Amino acid sequence: MIVGDLSRREFGTRLAGDGLRLQFGPFNLCIRSNLDSFASLAHRLYTPYPLLDEETLSDFHVEIRSPRGLHRWFRRQACFGVDGQTPFAPYTVEHAFPALEWGINWCVATRSHHLLMLHSGTVERNGQAILFPASPGDGKSTLCTALAHSGWRLLSDEFGLVRPEDGMLLPLPRLIPLKNESIEVIRRFRPEATIGPSFLDTRKGTVAHVRPPLESIRRAQEPARPRWLIFPRWVAGAPFALEAMPKSQAFLMVASNAFNYDVLDETAFRLVSEIVRSCDCYSLVYSDLNEAIPALDELCNTMAG
Amino acid sequence: MPSRLTVQEHPGDQLCEPSPISYLTKTAAEAGLIWENWDDLFVVYQPSSAETHVFNETTGSILECLGESALSADELKNQTEAALGVSQSELDDTDFAFALQRLEELGLIERLDDPSAAQ
Repeated sequence: MIVGDLSRREFGTRLAGDGLRLQFGPFNLCIRSNLDSFASLAHRLYTPYPLLDEETLSDFHVEIRSPRGLHRWFRRQACFGVDGQTPFAPYTVEHAFPALEWGINWCVATRSHHLLMLHSGTVERNGQAILFPASPGDGKSTLCTALAHSGWRLLSDEFGLVRPEDGMLLPLPRLIPLKNESIEVIRRFRPEATIGPSFLDTRKGTVAHVRPPLESIRRAQEPARPRWLIFPRWVAGAPFALEAMPKSQAFLMVASNAFNYDVLDETAFRLVSEIVRSCDCYSLVYSDLNEAIPALDELCNTMAG
Repeated sequence: MPSRLTVQEHPGDQLCEPSPISYLTKTAAEAGLIWENWDDLFVVYQPSSAETHVFNETTGSILECLGESALSADELKNQTEAALGVSQSELDDTDFAFALQRLEELGLIERLDDPSAAQ
């Protein structure tokens, strides 16, 4: 059963009641909200995601709701909560949706130490994955969105989730939060992409959420093997450049971009070493998706052939 | 960068005075190191401190050359030069002293008055 099987009314009732139980890749979530505007958008953008039955244990119990007490009468605000705690200052109620999406990512990044978590976009084709480790603003979400709408399967635009047992990458194909200029770039590049409304003046500028293609969401339980490490950097007007990178440098950049390298100690060292050993490593500078996507396709086809 | 990831820098103008005590040996911590060798660098995990280090060729070779018995600094420098494939005295004294200092700080080598006291 998926979210789309619920009527808007039933969806809202679950959110306001015991909670809506959703599966995002390896994580089970229970989401609550008493905000009608949030429910409407969530019903639309979460449509293809699998629902879980009420007996399923949840990894995180999250909520986005109006504040309790007198505060709710003075300002229209939305508070993100997880397991009964409210770790962030309230958001304006108009930003409830991105607030919940960020909150879920925060839960994953701070509470999933059974996995090595690389700060990396990840896409897959023919069972082989590209990792795009990068800092915020380097264009990994834009690149992942473009690839996911060009025949690649999105694993995640934000997390390279590495399973310690076998080094496989676990998919977490959540909504992709595009920021600022990237929103128009993707609208032009793939007009058919499902993109939610633009939220203006958020803590990260203007944000709009892209729903990954259905294939990526349907195959969210299929892991993939790392094959390429590509460190992207979007530079306005720069010519396309894809250059081999020394593995020692790749190791440092992957380890320093991980969310929990320090937490996992030797396990993290062994996993990052194995990824670097088994991947071809490149740096990528791009300004035009119409150059970058065919070049990455060709890289994949050449290696596969 | 994670706090437990350290990269070796060039000594630059730092003054690395060699110690007057000149016998060197590996510590027990060195035995547990996990090594990766890429390009001309060594990426090394030290379980005793949960730190990851990046060593250049000189530092990596020093550890490789230190066997079971203690060596004088001169003997170790000679062996390191041979391992690196450079001629005698070609390895810069400052670079060598800096590498020794770093390995001592990390607890991977120690200096001994009496070479027979080596582990």
